[in-house]
Amino acid sequence: MYEQRFDGRKFDELRKIEAEVGVVPNAKGSARFRIGNTEAIAAVYGPDEVKPRHFEKMDRAVLMVKYDMMPFSVPDRAKPGIDRRDMEIAEVLMNALNRAIMVEEFPQMMININVYVTQADAGTRCASLTAASMACADAGLPMRDLVASVAGGKIGDSVVLDLTKEEEDFEGGATDVPMAFLPSKGEILLLQLDGKVSKEDLKKVIELGKEGAQKIYEIEREALKRRFSNESKS
Amino acid sequence: MIEMKYFGSYEAVTPGELIADEGRGGDGTYTEGNKIFSKYLGTVGYNGDVATVSPIRSIYIPQEGDEVIGKITEVSNKYWVVDIGVPYYTRLDARDLNMRVNPGELDSVIERDDLIYARIFRVSPGRMADLSMRGSRYSKLPTRTISSVEPVKLPRLIGKEGATINAIKTTTKCNILIGQNGIVWIDGDEKNRVAALSVIKLIDESYYDPNLKEKVDKLLDYVRTKI
Repeated sequence: MYEQRFDGRKFDELRKIEAEVGVVPNAKGSARFRIGNTEAIAAVYGPDEVKPRHFEKMDRAVLMVKYDMMPFSVPDRAKPGIDRRDMEIAEVLMNALNRAIMVEEFPQMMININVYVTQADAGTRCASLTAASMACADAGLPMRDLVASVAGGKIGDSVVLDLTKEEEDFEGGATDVPMAFLPSKGEILLLQLDGKVSKEDLKKVIELGKEGAQKIYEIEREALKRRFSNESKS
Repeated sequence: MIEMKYFGSYEAVTPGELIADEGRGGDGTYTEGNKIFSKYLGTVGYNGDVATVSPIRSIYIPQEGDEVIGKITEVSNKYWVVDIGVPYYTRLDARDLNMRVNPGELDSVIERDDLIYARIFRVSPGRMADLSMRGSRYSKLPTRTISSVEPVKLPRLIGKEGATINAIKTTTKCNILIGQNGIVWIDGDEKNRVAALSVIKLIDESYYDPNLKEKVDKLLDYVRTKI
């Protein structure tokens, strides 16, 4: 049984969120997104010539997404470089961003999106996706909507939002459901499941995720709009 | 006329935000049914029944008729390859010059790393663009200070009928040439060039500031006392 969360949050409460854009001056667009102890930094470059050439698409841009965890991001050192998990996450991020960015406006071009996780405490793919979408908006790419992403799940018998690593490892059994939405359209861009959950509970988790994503969406928009007041100060 | 305005003029919007329920969508917007949404992070503008969004940052896509500044990256037997800051393969053919150049002797006229001011006369599918230097406006540019401004900010740099750019030119006694790809070439005394560059940088950094004109005027007044 899981009646009280380890960090004292309510079951439908998000962790503390920080969002900021323009953190990498050399990139075309960049963003930092932090939720609890999970933090991701995204940088966007391009559109550019497609390299290697055979990736080129005649009717749309190719997104090159790189996801990497810093060696110091986890308690015991993560091996530097791209492993199988990083490749899989980069792939799901790319699929989600393909729906959000209007890739058909840049045929035969490539957009580079690099995401680095500086601190990991569960939900890194969600934080990465949110950071990447903010960085794309900051880079001036045409988008249908921002992506808001959050993990939900089930711990013991309770449906919860935004799990921590401690909760994911709960010995009574925990289910992790990372989700991503286009909030103003209500579309689902990412839905993965790790664990066991009944059909009814999954519906509840998605509903909860939608509400959480709406809150993240507000914070994203606020951070992006701050770009205007920040720049005019200098 | 758009009656129901969700934002004020020059207010910031993010991608996917609803900006109007009626009227037509202009630049920087997309429509779904009757609803008009923003496509970019930028500032919104309503003009009659057209709603537009001007983006915070833009990507230059070559268009026929644009006048650009580019750098020669390669000299071949019959053409030059030019870098105009886009992921397009841009060429200047030896025949598209005012003078006649013999094949194989192209570097006697324009060498590698030279700057040119030219016109895009053809954009072909397959990300290729062809330049032309026919006409008295176009020429090779001597090496001077170069700066780059994002194409969306160029209207702010130029001003109404060239007011801003002319003010900068007369105050700093510099000759300034602007390419539509956002590259700005500044010719003049070294001290004056630095002054002109500082004004351009100011416009680049705070182009959506409503008080930009006052800021630029103040900086120009300061420059006037120094020169």
